[in-house]
Amino acid sequence: MYQIITGPLLWLTFAVFFGGLAWRVYTYIKGLDWKLDRVAYGTQTAYGIRGAARSIAAWIVPFGSQGWKVKPIFTILFFTFHIGLVVVPLFLAGHAVVLKMRFGIGWPTIPMLAADILTVAMLCAGVFIIIRRISLPEVRIITSLYDYLLLAITMAPFVTGFMAVHQLGGDYEFWLLAHVIAGEIMLLAVPFTKLFHVVGFFLSRGQLGMDYGIKRGGMTGAPMTW
Amino acid sequence: MPEGKFCNKTPVNTQEALEAVLGDKGGKQYYAEMLELDVDKAKLATSLKNTCKSRIRTWLEMCAHCGLCADSCFLYLANDRKPEQVPAYKIQSTLGEIVKKNGDVDNAFMRHAMEVAWSQCTCCNRCGQYCPYGIDMGIMFGYLRGLLYSQGFVPWELKIGAGMHRVFKAQMNVTDEDWTETCEWMAEEAQDEWPGLEIPIDKENADIMYTVNAREPKHYPEDISEAAVLFHVAGENWTVPSSGWEQTSLSLFAGDWEACKMQVEHVYAAIDRLKPKRACGTECGHAHRATVIEGPYWAGRPDGLTPVRFLHYTEWLEEALRLGKIKIDPAKRIKQPVTLQDSCNYIRNYGLKEITRNILSYLVEPGYFVEMSPNKEHNYCCGGGGGFNGMGIFRPQRNRALMVKRDQILATGCKLVIAPCHNCWDAIRDLEEEFKIGIKWSFLKPLVISMMIVPEHLKPKEEEE
Repeated sequence: MYQIITGPLLWLTFAVFFGGLAWRVYTYIKGLDWKLDRVAYGTQTAYGIRGAARSIAAWIVPFGSQGWKVKPIFTILFFTFHIGLVVVPLFLAGHAVVLKMRFGIGWPTIPMLAADILTVAMLCAGVFIIIRRISLPEVRIITSLYDYLLLAITMAPFVTGFMAVHQLGGDYEFWLLAHVIAGEIMLLAVPFTKLFHVVGFFLSRGQLGMDYGIKRGGMTGAPMTW
Repeated sequence: MPEGKFCNKTPVNTQEALEAVLGDKGGKQYYAEMLELDVDKAKLATSLKNTCKSRIRTWLEMCAHCGLCADSCFLYLANDRKPEQVPAYKIQSTLGEIVKKNGDVDNAFMRHAMEVAWSQCTCCNRCGQYCPYGIDMGIMFGYLRGLLYSQGFVPWELKIGAGMHRVFKAQMNVTDEDWTETCEWMAEEAQDEWPGLEIPIDKENADIMYTVNAREPKHYPEDISEAAVLFHVAGENWTVPSSGWEQTSLSLFAGDWEACKMQVEHVYAAIDRLKPKRACGTECGHAHRATVIEGPYWAGRPDGLTPVRFLHYTEWLEEALRLGKIKIDPAKRIKQPVTLQDSCNYIRNYGLKEITRNILSYLVEPGYFVEMSPNKEHNYCCGGGGGFNGMGIFRPQRNRALMVKRDQILATGCKLVIAPCHNCWDAIRDLEEEFKIGIKWSFLKPLVISMMIVPEHLKPKEEEE
């Protein structure tokens, strides 16, 4: 079982994950239409790239945009959640070991303590994000079950992974298998759900940045302070 | 009944049809007919297939439902933070549903979507600034308006407004003859005080071709003479076209893209005919949006630019002050607290925030200019944008929307508001009428005229006794 889910199934998962995201990027860019969007992507490309870079940079940095500044608590929750989500799986020593054993690839790692802190912080942030969804009327009205399902899919690999690593909940084998499967479910879900924002954020933020960089003042006026 | 006499899917294309719809006072019959208007679902599905592409589909699909857009929306704030006013909710429950159902929606749904599209969004585009993904719901509501318009679900005044552009190439029934006569009349009137002043019509190869908002010839002709005085004093080699002088676009508010294209191509044709070095429009926000920002795309210009550089009035004025073509008498500068309304259409959406502030640095005694909060590209809509000022059925909603701007102005403590935009100017006038907070409001032109130094050679000669 373990051999299959960390072998062929893992390969398949990565193929779907990367292939699916590539397909997302391709169809998004292919669907951009300078006449319908009213943005001269093709002829004013330099202004567009500058605008896209400014727009993405302002939002990828904590408190980099006005939007983050006016919502400090959410901003902290948001970045705690996302930093944990990206850093822990990529640089966990336990994952690097698998990479080394299976594929012979050397990979940088972070200390176990850092991974634990990031994981717990990420899960706490996730819980607060759920509480926020329930308690704020302006968030509740746009929330559906789908949003909770995605949070569950995203948080499950971290809960199960934490249980396995610290040998909590008794049955190590069970938690390890659950962790691998939960991780694969998450990766498989990314291209097919709005989790595709792992690339979609850059596309969409970049697109609006191009719009401002080309049409809405970027070529003549002062640059937008995001 | 599928199609009404007035409320139907056919745009107003003739003067006869225009007068007929206008005759239906307040749109009484029009809105009664709308209750029965059929939705052409096949046409709606085709429109979606042809025009709803990856940008909008991604926005609708990817929205994380985080609610960060709520506080960015002045209408959410103005309506006691009603959850139904959250931008993401507004667009998901209208355009989102239409896309999800691929156009399979009924009459009641379309009427509801019309109410949301025209009374719960002014297309100010502020939400796009506050969405981590950059989901610009103002753009989506603009798109939704186009779908609704094509199905006949559009407020009465905007059906008429778009029809005006189709029939008169102007937002009001002002003909080219009316326009040139008004120019001649204004020039004549001004000549007593300004000897040698002219409003040159159809002069080729001028440095500036000037365009206006049709309500200036119709209701505020003094605005034209003020523009003429300022060009005269600045020694500008300028002209106005006899045709193609109207820069606004109620069709933009209506979502009538065909009329938008016709209107802006008419202005560009005047540029092609008169070959000015540059063009310049009046103190209007959406006119700039229509002619300079969106216009090139409606006209199918791949570079996204106007045929010649097209200035907003504030850009011309700032340049004239900076180059000393117009000089301000320091003794006459504004010496009372004064604030500035940042128009969404050319501040947020065209980046002229520093230009208007430079102008104020000439006009206002240091220490008297008070910024609104928030300001510049983060300013709130005046409350009357996107056509909101002009729709009878949504008047109560519009009046409520003015409260945010009212409170912003009150917080500055200023009694004078400079509003270099027709829509903002109207909204601020209406908010004073509605709430009586004791403020005055002004365009830039009359202020500059009242405080500029008039060169000796331009003054009228004293009559020999």
